[in-house]
Amino acid sequence: MSFPELKERHVAATAKVNSLREQLKQRRHQLLDTDVAKYAKSQGRTAVNFSSTDLVCSRTLQGHTGKVYSLDWTPEKNRIVSASQDGRLIIWNALTSQKTHAIKLPCAWVMTCAFAPNGNSVACGGLDSACSIFNLNSQVDRDGNIPVSRVLTGHKGYVSSCQYVPGQDTRLITSSGDQTCVLWDVTTGQRISIFGGEFPSGHTSDVLSVSINTSNSNMFVSGSCDATARLWDARIASRAIRTYHGHQGDVNAVKFFPDGQRFGTGSDDGTCMLFDMRTGHQLQVYSQQLDNSDQDAPIVTSIAFSISGRLLFAGYSNGDCYVWDTLLAEVVLNLGKLQTSHEGRISCLGLSDDGSALCTGSWDKNLKIWAFGGHRKVI
Amino acid sequence: MTTNGEEAEALRRPPSLPRPPRTGDFLGKHRLSAAISRLNQEIQYLEEELNELEKMAPSSAACMEVCLSTEGKSDALLPETPGPENPAWHRWFQRVRSSHSRKWWTHKGSSDIS
Repeated sequence: MSFPELKERHVAATAKVNSLREQLKQRRHQLLDTDVAKYAKSQGRTAVNFSSTDLVCSRTLQGHTGKVYSLDWTPEKNRIVSASQDGRLIIWNALTSQKTHAIKLPCAWVMTCAFAPNGNSVACGGLDSACSIFNLNSQVDRDGNIPVSRVLTGHKGYVSSCQYVPGQDTRLITSSGDQTCVLWDVTTGQRISIFGGEFPSGHTSDVLSVSINTSNSNMFVSGSCDATARLWDARIASRAIRTYHGHQGDVNAVKFFPDGQRFGTGSDDGTCMLFDMRTGHQLQVYSQQLDNSDQDAPIVTSIAFSISGRLLFAGYSNGDCYVWDTLLAEVVLNLGKLQTSHEGRISCLGLSDDGSALCTGSWDKNLKIWAFGGHRKVI
Repeated sequence: MTTNGEEAEALRRPPSLPRPPRTGDFLGKHRLSAAISRLNQEIQYLEEELNELEKMAPSSAACMEVCLSTEGKSDALLPETPGPENPAWHRWFQRVRSSHSRKWWTHKGSSDIS
């Protein structure tokens, strides 16, 4: 086939793709007969009623000398691992505020960290395009540092996010600036599967976040600079199961909803969304209407759901930490406007395993633990 | 786009003087072909998704499921929650002696942390 003929085919195929995308968008819009908030209101539901002193900062974890970029809790115990611009991981006992380990990283440009399910190892990754594993029980070297026990190499871009597969200390999923996610075997250091990249249904820009479904650990969702989230089956690397459109900017954060059938997203466009995993429906948008529309809305950096899913915590670049009522789509509390708030961007947040505490990490170099300190009514 | 089709097309074209292939042309055609393959694959996926939407339930069904899923689940961070209340939830406000300092955390109910 000649070059001009190929060009014609390319133009025709591109037009067909655009037309199909438009048809899909319109058809999906027709299927959105309601959203979660309208439905909940129609059922007479009212917003969660917090008093301003209900969620209390009960700990401030100080020790990092640079911005905190990432944090992760251990399951069951009270420990947290945090990663910072200071080039260190710190492992904290959140209950006593003590630092149990401080790991000076071979590559200071760390962006993400994660605790292994058994609590014996931590993983981290960043601009070195690799994911390093540290066994917390190893003997320290002569400089007092925990040596790296394994380096997972293969990504061709920065590692933005990493998460161990729930219940499996040997499996980890990373997301990367190279537009792919990878499932790793930690014991051998080998890539088991690569999601995206050369396959057409992969992300078309940097992947920034990943969340594994705790109800079905074969499924995970990724968020990207291409403004979409994609659902993957870890057993099928050749194509994304579904692509979720709606955001107008980078999808910085993705997190599965506790029922395992929905997931939340947080974006540079300043909104959070709730998507239905199976159908792809955009079920709810969480957005504050700004009075001054000329101002850039603060971006959403991180999200987490409370254990029942009734609350959606969202961290923003301006230091706000909104507590959204997931069902009524209203902000019921702002942890960024309290006396004990962080003094900078909230970069990461996460719930303890029993859902009794929220940890927030900030560019103010601190982490904070928030818990319910008001009068609780048990029904 | 099949090989047979390509050959048939080549036979229909009038014979022309052969010219040496330029590397730029070759790379350009190769890239274009790859791009067309990817686009065709995407067309297939998009058509599959459109078909799926024909039989798909509207969003109200999922909205109802979301509302139901949050009910009956004990949640330590809610002011009103079904039980049982786990005593471990209170650990964040109990006195914990740290061996490194003499700090004691305040009781539940206070919003000031010393």
